[in-house]
Amino acid sequence: MSADLREPAAISRTSQYFLWVPAVTVVTAFLIFPLLMMFRMSLNKFIPGEFMVEALTFENYINVLSDGYYRGVLFTTVWVAALSAFLCLIMALPAAYYVARIRPGAMKSVILILIILPLLMGSAVRTAGWMVVLSDSGALNKVLVGLGLRDAPLQLMYTPQAVVIALVSVLLPFMLITLQSAMENIHPSLEEASLSLGAPPVKTFFRVIIPLSTVGIVAGTLLCFILALNAYATPFLLGGPRFQMMAPALYQQITMVNNWPAGATLAFILLSVSLLLTLTMAYVVKKRVVR
Amino acid sequence: MNARSYHRLVRILRRFSFVSIAWLVLGFVIFPLAITVWVAFFSNRIISFPPESYTLSWFTRAWDSVEFRNSFLLSAQIGAVATALALALGVPAAVAITKIEFRGREWVNTLLLSPIMIPAVVAGCAIYLFYIEIEVQSSVRVAGTTPGLLIAHVLIAIPWIVRLVTVSLSGVDKAVEEASMNLGANPFTTFRRIVLPIIKPGIVAGGLFGFIQSFTDLEKSMFLVGPGKQVISVAIVTHLEWQLDPLIMAVSAIQVIIIGAALIVSDRYVKLSRAF
Repeated sequence: MSADLREPAAISRTSQYFLWVPAVTVVTAFLIFPLLMMFRMSLNKFIPGEFMVEALTFENYINVLSDGYYRGVLFTTVWVAALSAFLCLIMALPAAYYVARIRPGAMKSVILILIILPLLMGSAVRTAGWMVVLSDSGALNKVLVGLGLRDAPLQLMYTPQAVVIALVSVLLPFMLITLQSAMENIHPSLEEASLSLGAPPVKTFFRVIIPLSTVGIVAGTLLCFILALNAYATPFLLGGPRFQMMAPALYQQITMVNNWPAGATLAFILLSVSLLLTLTMAYVVKKRVVR
Repeated sequence: MNARSYHRLVRILRRFSFVSIAWLVLGFVIFPLAITVWVAFFSNRIISFPPESYTLSWFTRAWDSVEFRNSFLLSAQIGAVATALALALGVPAAVAITKIEFRGREWVNTLLLSPIMIPAVVAGCAIYLFYIEIEVQSSVRVAGTTPGLLIAHVLIAIPWIVRLVTVSLSGVDKAVEEASMNLGANPFTTFRRIVLPIIKPGIVAGGLFGFIQSFTDLEKSMFLVGPGKQVISVAIVTHLEWQLDPLIMAVSAIQVIIIGAALIVSDRYVKLSRAF
């Protein structure tokens, strides 16, 4: 290996530390350490009027899992995230296949930019668009009433449906990118073989394309689920005051209620679920590649 | 109609319905952004469809509004400085990860990419509590200050820079570096004259991505902004909570244009789908 040829004397042992130690120090000091500190806080007690009291108890975790309000928040978050991820998958399958099979060229670049641009826009701006569409005097109600499908405007804003619609639209690009790169790696000759052996295109899609993109499907669905679990702007703006998901609830506990132990507990639950799913995702992808 | 042309018709129809479904889905992604840009030109303050007339005045009003102009400028400054700092930290780290074999290299890589994997709300919350704790212990104010916000944004930019520069660096042929050093150049000169020009696209793209992520960040910043010192995403959400008018759509449209331009520039340097 050429590894032996490489600069053993040229870059001395001490000087190489200068390359990575500063970055590692910053991330450790301002992200990893605060996370550990937050976990410690989640074991403290909250006594109204006295703020946070030093303790070592799992009370907050038991509270979150037994208290009616928090159970509602957890339940809403999980089903909204699961439904959004599922809808993203169903919608992205045909579209990603279409994009994957476009020959590389100007058209493909434009489509990829159209997918990636919204992905980078930040959820606040994209939720704004949906607010205009779904509000009482919004575009959708105008169309429904105008066509005579409805006499009075529908209440669309501040419903769970609105949150799911907007979340799907916000998360679809992640699914599209993941799936299209998985499908691009499927050699077209496999489809041709299936088609020439007499399977109709729809059957080919379900029996050849989908099984071969399992890794992309699992990775994309998990990614969308994680992002939906942690979504802030969309549920906050479109869900209304009575609709509560984890991220807005956590923000409220920390900055308004000042119940740090409860906020830290919610944050730690979100963190552990998200990281566990991220690891699962990495494991699935890696396992398939090694095979 | 004979059987052959019938089959052909079925095939065309099938193809057509498949392509239309695909475009409907793509449309669903673009739709909110398109609506936002459209409404930004409506003349009436109360949004109604279709608009009575169109105007450009919301864009000038967005600039005239102290709230939006200041938060916009703060976001741009924070984004630029945070990206510069993250480049200074991230590029050397990427070099170490790809070029030097040391123990714990995988860990360093994972740690530097971790800000992407840790949910932004959770990270924002943890950093906020940490800042408050610093203030309690030493009575130095960090939460709500610009330096405090800046550090969080450096964390946002680091993983994108490390990821994109690492990808570029792993594409550098070792033989070229060896040739340079055999000819007597020291590692530093080799890096500056040989490696740096090759990985420049990765550095530019990483920087642009880091900037975009910092500029659009909401979840970390909302914990860390101080009174009267908002970043643009926080200002947008606060406004949307109370009012839905063409002004906020114009502010959003400006953001769409800026990010779009940054994206088209970075697309010339790296294949974008590789960034995710």
